[in-house]
Amino acid sequence: MTPRVVISGLGLVSPIGNGVNAFMAGVAAGKPGIGLIRHCSAQPFPSQLAAEVNLWGEIPAGSDVDRKAVFLEQALAELLTSHEKFWRYPPPQRLLIVGSGLDYFDLPGYIKSEQRRRHQWHSFSKNSRQAVLKLAAKYDIQGGVHVQVAACVASNHALGLAFRVLQATPHKIVIAGGADSMINPLHYMGFYKLGALSNWTGPPAEACRPFDKNRGGLVLGEGAAVFALQSITEADPQNILAEIVGYSSTMDAYTVTDPHPDGIFLAKAAQHALTGAGITPNDIDCVHLHGTGTLKNDVAEAKAMKLIFGERFSTIPVFSLKGQVGHLIGACGAIELAAVIYSLQTQSVPVTVNFTEADPDIPLRVVVGKPLATEIRYLLKLNAAFGGQNAAMVLKKYE
Amino acid sequence: MKIVFDSYSATEVIPVAHCLHNKKLAKYFNRETAAAIVCANKLLRGLTLPTETPFYYATGTLEYEDYGLGYIAQDSADDQGKFSAPLFIEQGLSRVPPINQFKVLPNMPLCFVAIEHQLTGDNAVIYSAAASLLLCVLTAAPLRNILIGAGKVYNHGETQVGFALVDKPEIEQSPFLSCTGEAIEMFQAWALTV
Repeated sequence: MTPRVVISGLGLVSPIGNGVNAFMAGVAAGKPGIGLIRHCSAQPFPSQLAAEVNLWGEIPAGSDVDRKAVFLEQALAELLTSHEKFWRYPPPQRLLIVGSGLDYFDLPGYIKSEQRRRHQWHSFSKNSRQAVLKLAAKYDIQGGVHVQVAACVASNHALGLAFRVLQATPHKIVIAGGADSMINPLHYMGFYKLGALSNWTGPPAEACRPFDKNRGGLVLGEGAAVFALQSITEADPQNILAEIVGYSSTMDAYTVTDPHPDGIFLAKAAQHALTGAGITPNDIDCVHLHGTGTLKNDVAEAKAMKLIFGERFSTIPVFSLKGQVGHLIGACGAIELAAVIYSLQTQSVPVTVNFTEADPDIPLRVVVGKPLATEIRYLLKLNAAFGGQNAAMVLKKYE
Repeated sequence: MKIVFDSYSATEVIPVAHCLHNKKLAKYFNRETAAAIVCANKLLRGLTLPTETPFYYATGTLEYEDYGLGYIAQDSADDQGKFSAPLFIEQGLSRVPPINQFKVLPNMPLCFVAIEHQLTGDNAVIYSAAASLLLCVLTAAPLRNILIGAGKVYNHGETQVGFALVDKPEIEQSPFLSCTGEAIEMFQAWALTV
């Protein structure tokens, strides 16, 4: 029998709160995390919207700071200082698998340096893998360190790989999740030039509008979330937050700029994950979607939902966190998994903020007004990436 | 194991256009992506892979850039040689076309190879390590015919890529399972022995 895999701990920093308790309270309250960029000079930017992390009042502000590495360090500290079982595993049985974004580049530092004249930029590029290796050394993790970089599904891939590792070799503990920040001049404006960022001109907190008729693009967010994964036989029952029962990834192989318009391979990822979980679509009580608030993604997801659930697709409650925390790119799957745990633990579907007017092309049951109290035994989590990669995970309430 | 390993000097033209069903895609490629397309094409020529074939790719640590950093830095400096956000927006970025964003995303080699060969199965993009790439193979569902690739553009501009079709049993005892070095180094070694 395949070993069962559970989540037995969590640590995070996010635009709506740092630490698990603050984040969960933020999800429950529909707390807005999007505003104008504050940590660097963005006044000349044509768009200044972002969901920044406020790290206990002190946002790391120097241009030489790789913010995602800071966030990862904070999230790991929260998780591992409180996870007694982690320390009982011998170091070779500890793994770290992290989904990350692009290497941060300190453009202001490089420009004012002598190295610029010789085009010697390397010391200003912060290697994401090295940052993860450094943290692995800090926590004496010797069983393997792996960094996934598949854009918006990087952390889904990290969590999926962790799930598979434990199914194959259950006597380990895997710390998995993601960290990212694209809120810096080079990366932020790169997204802007692609035309992906929200064109919203109203209040900043309303700029990301998943599934709404007036949605106009994504808002970049930042943060980190990491989880402790163990086999169910080795986890302390009182610490179990959820069980992972299925995972799958697929490729659209369609175009790198847009999702497949019919959502075919996103649906396939979900179907494979459901098969792996040994359940049918009828067993799913709630879906946490990618929900970027872009014109094409949200329609494609609605079509994928119809392929997965048939006529039930418009009645099953759905949720997107991105209206609150923005798009964390390499960490979005991880931070959104924390919201999945919220749903499973509170037996409720949160409100998708900024959804005020339904789009006829997206006939989904988006929760508005107040969280929907409902029995949730199985929950489907979907994400998709720039480039055409899709990921699906099925989670079960621990019982 | 079937393997192809390619290397291109800094100035060598990578003949990618003839490999593409849609030749217009070439404008999105950096040198690693172009080399990956050519290499995968050589490996898979004459084969009919199931579309569900798992495909994992490892990209090398960043040593080379060709998206226009030099222009951006030059045009974004003020009179004192410091970063100027207005100059960055007005001049620095305007020198670089939006399409160059595709040259910095690490998942592009995998995505474009998948498009060319209509691969829609399980996938992952690894940063650097050989052991990480092989771990994906060992935890994949199928036993045989798993496509893996790795690429890197070195500091001096040399581009290396490798692709292989592997089976789990031939990976299970691989010394590279504990190798923290770059995945491309594994292909270098395989190319010498296969």
